[in-house]
Amino acid sequence: MAIDELLAQFHEIAASPRKQLGKYLAQGRKVVACAPVYTPEEIIHSMGLVPMGVWGAEMEVHEAKKYYPAFICSIMQTVLELGITGKFEGISAIVIPSLCDSLKSLGQNWKYAVPGIPFIPMTYPQNRKPDYGVKFTKASYEKVISDLEIATGAKFSEILLAESNRIYNEHNAAMREFAETAADHAITAVQRSDVFKSAWFMLKEEHTALVRQLTAELKKAPADEGKVRVVTSGILADSPGLLEIFDKNGIKIVADDVAQESRQYRTDVPEKPNPLDALAQKFADMDNCSVLYDRDKKRVGFIVDLAQKHNAAGVIVLMTKFCDPEEFDYVPIKRACDAAGLRNVNIEVDCQMVNYEQAGTMLQAFKEMG
Amino acid sequence: MGEEVKKKRPAPDPNSAKYKLGQIAAKAYSDCMEAKARGEMVGWCASNFPVEIPETLGLSVCYPENQAAAIAARGGGERMCSESEGDGYSNDLCAYARVSLAYMKLKDAPEQNMPMPDFVLCCNNICNCMIKWYENIARELDIPMIMIDIPFNPDYEVSDAETEYIRAQFWGAIHQLEKITGKKWSDERYKEVMEISGRSSRAWLAATSCAKYLPSPFNGFDLLNHMAVMVTARGKKEAAEAMETLLKEYEDNHEKGDSTYHGEEKYRIMFEGIACWPWLRVTSTGLKSRGINMVTTIYADAFGFIYDDFDGMCRAYARVPNAMNLELSRDKRIKLCKDNHVEGLLVHTNRSCKLWSGFMAEMSRQIGRACDIPVVSFDGDQADPRNFSEAQYDTRVQGLMEIMEANKGGRSDGNR
Repeated sequence: MAIDELLAQFHEIAASPRKQLGKYLAQGRKVVACAPVYTPEEIIHSMGLVPMGVWGAEMEVHEAKKYYPAFICSIMQTVLELGITGKFEGISAIVIPSLCDSLKSLGQNWKYAVPGIPFIPMTYPQNRKPDYGVKFTKASYEKVISDLEIATGAKFSEILLAESNRIYNEHNAAMREFAETAADHAITAVQRSDVFKSAWFMLKEEHTALVRQLTAELKKAPADEGKVRVVTSGILADSPGLLEIFDKNGIKIVADDVAQESRQYRTDVPEKPNPLDALAQKFADMDNCSVLYDRDKKRVGFIVDLAQKHNAAGVIVLMTKFCDPEEFDYVPIKRACDAAGLRNVNIEVDCQMVNYEQAGTMLQAFKEMG
Repeated sequence: MGEEVKKKRPAPDPNSAKYKLGQIAAKAYSDCMEAKARGEMVGWCASNFPVEIPETLGLSVCYPENQAAAIAARGGGERMCSESEGDGYSNDLCAYARVSLAYMKLKDAPEQNMPMPDFVLCCNNICNCMIKWYENIARELDIPMIMIDIPFNPDYEVSDAETEYIRAQFWGAIHQLEKITGKKWSDERYKEVMEISGRSSRAWLAATSCAKYLPSPFNGFDLLNHMAVMVTARGKKEAAEAMETLLKEYEDNHEKGDSTYHGEEKYRIMFEGIACWPWLRVTSTGLKSRGINMVTTIYADAFGFIYDDFDGMCRAYARVPNAMNLELSRDKRIKLCKDNHVEGLLVHTNRSCKLWSGFMAEMSRQIGRACDIPVVSFDGDQADPRNFSEAQYDTRVQGLMEIMEANKGGRSDGNR
């Protein structure tokens, strides 16, 4: 398939999650919603269920205001709004982790705001690396398995989990290869986002196949030169209105530290005799993320390295408004970028953004800094 | 313009609970200052960190949340918040954190000073914001961070898996602190501390439960001040004694028909949320001028830790207000409302606290229904004075009072 055709497919899927949901339901599959930032998708997948990401939407909030005050991030607000207004109809359950304070309250509100879709909590440990942390992760996974069995009637098997772990590792590798290839070949910021976003609405084996085709085609295409190379960082970077400004200004995303994008694909499930132990170890191995405890703030150095490794001129922080974990990390990130001579800018974003003029001015200024 | 004439206040009675508690709260800071001056290591400690650990080890710790509240109550909140904002911290972040990060940098605040830390003791049972705030301090000052993770519990009970996870971390923290400070853990000393902390907690809970009497023997705003001792010193013998004095005073007040709430107690409410420290007088006067006594708040429960052994301690720290699911949080508040004959609920929608405010709307609706009481909320902040409107507060409190008034008139048996 030609690059344009492949990109059109990614765009179609990224832009119409409801259609994807309808497709899987029509196939007789049960679908489980996965809230940010990390959920054990491998478990859901291994039980024959379809995990689909829910990261909110660009929309106005009405009904969720009965539950949330205005100063909770728009991802939580719009996930709840979509739930209340029936946009997740047909979904068998939602898994919500408690990795930030607003996520903790999303689960609690969900029980009463969307009673028709069972809430399955996923409690991760922050002290995730010592043995006792890995053990607690495993116990939480076992609870999720039991809740999923009750909500969907599906059964868990270790053999099938081992297979799903393998499928997810393959997908991780495919996504990493895509990101590296996209850094040097012609693909717009909007198109790049479509590839990452569509992963949330497809079975990973289907997505891997499509991504591999695209990467192979991209490698044949000429190198993309003459652009201002940047690294993006934040929770979300999927707003077409915002990304078009990148493209318009000749700003090229060569790597990202975005929670909805590459942060998902950095860590593989390691080899272990028991696949559930292996999955718990994967969480222990994860790092460089604002919602994962890190005394040393390794994430800060990671971002600087990422930018330097990709010959980026700087870092564009897309700050989800009211996101505590990201707002705390921003100050050390800014200081480290300044010290390393990397241009940087902080653009506040939320799902209710309708006017991108300010972001446009900031990006233009960023471009001209060089 | 004439000079303000200050009323001369009578000298405080040194045997009163108020005096003793004030002394203990002040001593918490001076003890730390002296320890630092002696060359000892000093820690900064999260308010719901298991204080039994530093207390048993004989470590000096002070409490940034308490300091931020003190700075805010004495008028320094906006100055300190602005300082952090100037460094790039968003003004949407918790104002305690902004005040504290500013203090870390300036190392001086005339409203309330405390020594700089040699280590930080973090516990996220009240919020994950704590983790990020303490990470930044530990990294900036290049000091060790002891992190006890007590996850938000989505279930009503604390599971065995969670207890085991917490227990392992408590021991991990103890061993880490032994290594950092050279102090040694003693089981006998722990037993003593546990007993003292239990004594303080029992007296505190019994004192706050005196609100069951009609009228209440105390003004609920007292609790906001006294709780500082429960935060900073509940494992100390003086605190246990002072809390027992407080309980005795409240019981005596009840016997004599006296109260620290001066004036007629026409209405009794529960206050939800952290105090609006920069506007303490305004929020207090808005109630008092209408004959409203805030007789109870979840603070009463928040800092009362009663348990029998190490595992019990692990579970107790997993059952603090912000670590509990909606149902358990709701049921504890319903009990407070019913036990204390509460007629209305006033909710502080605290801009600083996303977790406390995040499911408060649904929970307070459920409390209102279960207790058949009106619920109103107002926007405010625990330390940033810019997030509060006196006019809005006044209107909301007036509205609450009017419904409570109508309810009284509408009830045929005349009982509260």
